[in-house]
Amino acid sequence: MGCSWMKKEGPEGDIVLGTRVRLARNFAKLPFPATANRDQAKQVLQKGELIAEKLGELTDVKFYRLAEVDKLEREVMMEKHLISPAHTENTASKGLILSLNEDISIMINEEDHLRIQVLFPGLQLRETWGLANKVDDLVESVVDYAFSPNIGYLTACPTNVGTGMRGSVMLHLPGLARIQQLSKVLTSISQFGLVVRGLYGEGSKSFGNIYQISNQVSLGYSETDVLEHLAKVTAQIISSERQARQYLIEKQQRIYSEDQIFRAYGLLTNARTMTTQEALELLSSVRLGIDLELIKDLNKNLLKELMVEIRAAHLQKIMGQSLPHEERDRLRASLIRDRLRQKTTDDS
Amino acid sequence: MLCEKCQREIASVHVTKIINGQKTETHLCPECAGDLGEFGWSIDIPNLFASVFEQSQPWTKTATPQQRCSTCSSTLNDFRRLNQFGCGDCYMTFKSEIEPLLRRLHGASRHEGKIPAKGFAKLSINQKVKLLKEKLQQEISVENYEEAARLRDEIRELEKQLNSKGEE
Repeated sequence: MGCSWMKKEGPEGDIVLGTRVRLARNFAKLPFPATANRDQAKQVLQKGELIAEKLGELTDVKFYRLAEVDKLEREVMMEKHLISPAHTENTASKGLILSLNEDISIMINEEDHLRIQVLFPGLQLRETWGLANKVDDLVESVVDYAFSPNIGYLTACPTNVGTGMRGSVMLHLPGLARIQQLSKVLTSISQFGLVVRGLYGEGSKSFGNIYQISNQVSLGYSETDVLEHLAKVTAQIISSERQARQYLIEKQQRIYSEDQIFRAYGLLTNARTMTTQEALELLSSVRLGIDLELIKDLNKNLLKELMVEIRAAHLQKIMGQSLPHEERDRLRASLIRDRLRQKTTDDS
Repeated sequence: MLCEKCQREIASVHVTKIINGQKTETHLCPECAGDLGEFGWSIDIPNLFASVFEQSQPWTKTATPQQRCSTCSSTLNDFRRLNQFGCGDCYMTFKSEIEPLLRRLHGASRHEGKIPAKGFAKLSINQKVKLLKEKLQQEISVENYEEAARLRDEIRELEKQLNSKGEE
């Protein structure tokens, strides 16, 4: 299975790793998942199958009952950002519709009946929303949504009511982090009605200078207004990050930046055991080195791919069994050494 | 004893809750207890929405704590506990409570975005016309008359659809 947002480089790909749009949707006259009884939850899952069939008109999709997917595989899906951490547990009536190239995923019976998600590489807010909107139109043609003309799409949590939309961009900001301007920039973002989150969404920590920025408000503005606003703020952040990176390779700074980047490279290519956190921090430095053209013989998408592949469930999937911490740290170090040895400038 | 929720399995999980001095006992099978998330919430997280709710209560209090949503039978207390509503109809049942909450959360209480075509056809077309008219003005202001003419035709077509729907 190919995960296109990871493998491909998108617009502004040196800073924006990916763009996501998710729509929260519910069926009319059926209680939301937290309140539904077992039969009602089953009904929702059955509608999911119907939706999967309809989406077949647009692209190849697969329907999963998560109770029939083993735990490790569910965690792999989570690490690829295809499902939320909550969706890997209590799987009784939970489902997933996934397109073959994994750019469309629909969680069934998560917090809402449906969470439609589209994930693209790079900065592509308009395109991502375009596809999410199209998927939503198709879904709507086979089910009745809980909708009110006054307050929009009705959701379990009142923070999502209205458009039910959250647009996010995943940003790699090592330059701002190095010149100690990151907290200033991230704090100012909240004044624009946007939220900053870590790599795996709400409450998750940020490692490797990767942040997700998304809209907070879902009521009172149209989808395109919200996304335009997000695009404007993102453009500002990109421009500050570029300035910071430029500063890092100016005369007096350059030697220190190079030193830090090549030390990270040295550790990644030689270390024998490594935690996820350390790996992400070092990979962030090496990716910066590639973007600054200090390191020339490595694939640009290495950070994006490794960021996901070095996660616990991915490593355990390689071995086909669950592994203790120390084993995972050893396997992680060896996987990274191998991958960095496959030197290539090929971006495909 | 059978599980109170599914009435099928043996109830082996007994939950006793004391909320504001009111004691309730629930007897569930392990699966239903898991579904309820009773154990995911071992501590009562600070209830942000509820406190926002309380602040907006005095002037708009119309639903009583006992009032239940006719579709899912949730009460306002259920919302306070879960931070989630039970179903779409709760938004109507507890409308007067929810509106001020939405205003506080979003700074607005009126939807401006997408409208499903099914069941809301007229609204949906109206909204499209509104957007197209805005676009039309933009095109005229930059003297892009070719595109403006195309938009004008599109608007006419939609308005025709609206009129025929009005007669139905």
